[in-house]
Parts: sequence; structure tokens; C-alpha cells
Amino acid sequence: MIAAAVYFFGGLAALATLLMIFQRDPVKAAMLMLAALLSTAGLYLALSAQLLAALQVILYAGAIMTLFIVALTVMPQAWRDHQPKNVFTRVLGLAAAAVLLTELVKVSAVLRTAVRNVDFSESGVLGLARELFGRFAFQFELLSLVILTSIVAAVTLAAKRREA
Amino acid sequence: MSAYTLAGISFLLFALAAAGFLTCGSLVRMLMFLELMLNAANVALVALGPQPASQAYAVMLFAIAAAEAGVGLALIITLASTFRTLEAANIKELKG
Repeated sequence: MIAAAVYFFGGLAALATLLMIFQRDPVKAAMLMLAALLSTAGLYLALSAQLLAALQVILYAGAIMTLFIVALTVMPQAWRDHQPKNVFTRVLGLAAAAVLLTELVKVSAVLRTAVRNVDFSESGVLGLARELFGRFAFQFELLSLVILTSIVAAVTLAAKRREA
Repeated sequence: MSAYTLAGISFLLFALAAAGFLTCGSLVRMLMFLELMLNAANVALVALGPQPASQAYAVMLFAIAAAEAGVGLALIITLASTFRTLEAANIKELKG
């Protein structure tokens, strides 16, 4: 049952990403990205990572998607977004991605014998909290600095634009 | 369930996002595919890593992804207002 859910949500995310590549309308592409992110949340749920599934919906599907939609709205150039006509570049890009996938699958051949237990468990959140506020407390606090820096950078860039 | 299958799913997601990143010309779209690539890496981390620790790393990666999207979009909006285009191929000058 859980294995079926993993295949279903994984397949849904892959399908949404594939459709996104061929979607010309930027807003429809953003909606397909939302579908891919929500499918990933389902995948986390199937892997018994309940907190991550909730964070995925709130952070990725909520905050980051809103940011993209706002960016698409404030930039009228995005509506005239057209796909490049150079077929050679597109074929080269697809070939590079195919090579990447082949290499990754080849490298992960050592995992053939490894088994991941996907039985449902609800003890994940407590273990995660112990890690975040115990072993990784310093790294977790350092993240606030990263976010603060990114806020300062974004505000500085926006202020420069207003002056110009 | 085989770890190989789980790895395969995340690698497929990563490769599809990489294909999108390499084939599209628009900067916003490239950033979207970049987010999806990071998302696929997160899936691999949660699916294959040692359990509580890998989830803790994934939570930290969420914060990094949010920061990256914020700065990336601010940069793209500044570039768009300077060059009046969102196509990466049309942005050729280093000095704006």
C-alpha cells in the first residue's frame, strides 16, 4: 500500500515536471510546479515524514509559489515569455539531462541490495525535534543568519531599483 | 521497498528538472526548475538517509530554498528592469 503511494506520488511529480517543460504559458507552468511540489508532499507523507510534508505545503507550495506568482505578476515581460526557437540547444539540453540520469542511476547501483523500511511510523517528529534542538542546534541557529542575509540582499536590490 | 527504487524516483525528478533548466530560456522558469532540482535532492535525502538526521537536514534545506528563491527573484526583477527582458540569451552585457 505504502509502496503504491510512493510510486503514485513520485509518478505524479515526474509527470507534472515533464508537462512543465513543454508548457508555454508561465502561469500554467507555475501551477504545474505547484502540482509537482504537492505530489512531493504526498511522497514525504508516504515515507513517514509528516512534519516535512506539512512544511513542504506551507513553505514550498505556499511561500515560494506565492513569490513566483507575485514575480510573474509584477514583470510584464514574463507574459511575453517565448520558448527559444533554437532546436539544437533544446536537444543538447535534453541529451545532457539524459546523460545525467544515466550516470546517477549507474552510480546508485550499489543501492540495489539495500532495503528501505517504508512502514508507517509517527515517531518521526519527536526524533526530528531532538536532532534540530540537540545535535544540530548550532547549524539550525546559523540558518537564521542565512535568512537574515537573504532578506537584507532582497531589500537592498529592491531599494536600488526604486532609486533607479 | 528497495532503496534503489526510491533513489530512481528522486533521480528521475532531478533529471527532468535539469532538462527543463537546460532547455528553457526564461530566467523565472530557470529559477523554478532550480527549485525543483533542490526539491528532488531533498526527496533523495529523506528517502535514503539515516532517519531523524536526514529529515533535520531536509528542514534546513527548506530554509535555504526559501532564501534562494527570495534573493533569486529579487535579482531577476532587477535584471528585468535593467535589460527590459527575461530571456537569458538576450542578457549579454556584464556592465548593466
